[in-house]
Amino acid sequence: MKDNLVLRVNNLSKEFTNNNETNEVIKDLSLSVEENTFTCILGPSGCGKTTLLRCIAGFEDYAGEIFVDDVLCKEPGIDRIMVFQDFNQLFPWKTVIGNIKFALKKNGVTDASEQEKIAKEMLEKTHLSGFEDYYPHQLSGGMKQRVAIAKALALKPRIILMDEPFAALDAMTRTELQNEVLKIFEENNITFIFITHNIQEAIMLGDRIIVLGLGGEVLIDEENHIQKPVTPASNGYGDLWKKLHDSLYLAKR
Amino acid sequence: MNSFMKKHKPLITKLIFIVVFLSIWEYVSIGNKLGPKTEIILPSLGAIGKAFVKNFVQGYAGQSLWIYIGNSMWILLVGLFIGILLAFVFSGLSIINETFRYIYDFMVSIFDLLPGIALLPVVIIIFGIRVEVIIFLVVHSVLWPMSRNILDGFSSIPRIFIEAGKNINLRGLDLVLSIYLPAAATHIISGLKSGWARAWRGLISAEMIFGIASSPGLGLYINQMRTNLNNAEMYATLLVIIIVGAFVQYGILQPIENHTIRKWGMVR
Ligand SMILES: Nc1ncnc2c1ncn2[C@@H]1O[C@H](COP(=O)(O)OP(=O)(O)O)[C@@H](O)[C@H]1O
Ligand SMILES: [Mg+2]
Repeated sequence: MKDNLVLRVNNLSKEFTNNNETNEVIKDLSLSVEENTFTCILGPSGCGKTTLLRCIAGFEDYAGEIFVDDVLCKEPGIDRIMVFQDFNQLFPWKTVIGNIKFALKKNGVTDASEQEKIAKEMLEKTHLSGFEDYYPHQLSGGMKQRVAIAKALALKPRIILMDEPFAALDAMTRTELQNEVLKIFEENNITFIFITHNIQEAIMLGDRIIVLGLGGEVLIDEENHIQKPVTPASNGYGDLWKKLHDSLYLAKR
Repeated sequence: MNSFMKKHKPLITKLIFIVVFLSIWEYVSIGNKLGPKTEIILPSLGAIGKAFVKNFVQGYAGQSLWIYIGNSMWILLVGLFIGILLAFVFSGLSIINETFRYIYDFMVSIFDLLPGIALLPVVIIIFGIRVEVIIFLVVHSVLWPMSRNILDGFSSIPRIFIEAGKNINLRGLDLVLSIYLPAAATHIISGLKSGWARAWRGLISAEMIFGIASSPGLGLYINQMRTNLNNAEMYATLLVIIIVGAFVQYGILQPIENHTIRKWGMVR
């Protein structure tokens, strides 16, 4: 038993009821995540990846227990910050830096110059210096996602939850952001749980890869030892890709 | 020249329309085209212009039109302030308490259908003819449409803003003030627009019907001009009512919109 577990999900079950029809999306899922690791979760569309992340974030009711640092959590909180896939997650009525400062202000950083300092530092990390006073509607999708990441970092959460944050970006911007996230992960002590349906993205980012099947069944759960930075030419890439691809293909049926 | 015309086409069109309209008016008026009563029905522009000045200099019953405008605006402001404040408080409570929401939503649907002016006789029976009655009418005119807009605004806020708010530990009142209100700004501003317009109309009508001696307003003034057959003064007062309305619309509401939802990219 490892003692540096930051997240434990015990016997999670989640069902949705629509018009008297019950859809059991996640059945009795258990998993745990170690501190300062990068876990990628793959799975076919509709298998419950988003639902799992939303349960962890505290946005849904569910059966089972979720612990962060051995504390039972049912409500949302800044120990688990969610970066959504939707670009429009920033508050449009606040500037880029305003979004970050506001989150800090509401969480104990009362000194304005301290808020400013932290926000600027995080924006620098995400290559957004110079865009502090822009409003979200003046930014590209990739930049909005960068701000969301900067905001998450500023709050120093125990876990950053990312739900296909780059899925709607063009290939070039996506690669850029993947590299930046990887760098942030390597330079800071943060735990990432990153959902994707892109196999290459999972291999590139994750040091642990989980494949979920329908009903949230864990089909594959293994460490990714491929040396970073990963390219398709990396040793072991082809084998891992095939293994993940096959299990995804089977899961779909 | 051509590009100048293109750029300012809306403005030029309006100006041409006004000039043509006034020319026809003057032609009909000076030429007595409506028979011997023409001067009463359509006083000449010059007469209306003189009456406009006279309204302010001489006024009625020893008081300049400024006093009447001031009285109306004061009642309007007090009523709008109370009405808007109540709309925010009640709509905010609806977010925090579900039972309250069902009841309030129901009340809004019902009272929104009731023209304030129809309610006035009842209110007067209870309170007598007093300034507070007209303030009550203004509050009634603005409270329900404003609440309807705020409630609709709240229920159409993207879920992601509320979740992002909860994620940074906002709850209860904090969530309402920091997320619900700005996120519903588009609806709130359109509520302001329709609420103020209703209140303004309701106010003038109420003053015309139940002019209150202790606080004579624009409606009372225009009604006195009518009974005394001072038709040029009547038209001049109509002009004042339009000017006040335009001032609120373009001098107050438009800047509010420009500094909020337009700046934030929430409307185009
Ligand atoms: N709010 C909801 N109400 C009803 N069904 C839902 C809701 N959210 C998700 N579902 C259903 O749960 C299943 C899993 O959805 P989701 O977690 O979004 O999948 P994924 O992110 O893996 O693509 C889908 O069948 C979806 O239709
Ligand atoms: Mg999803």
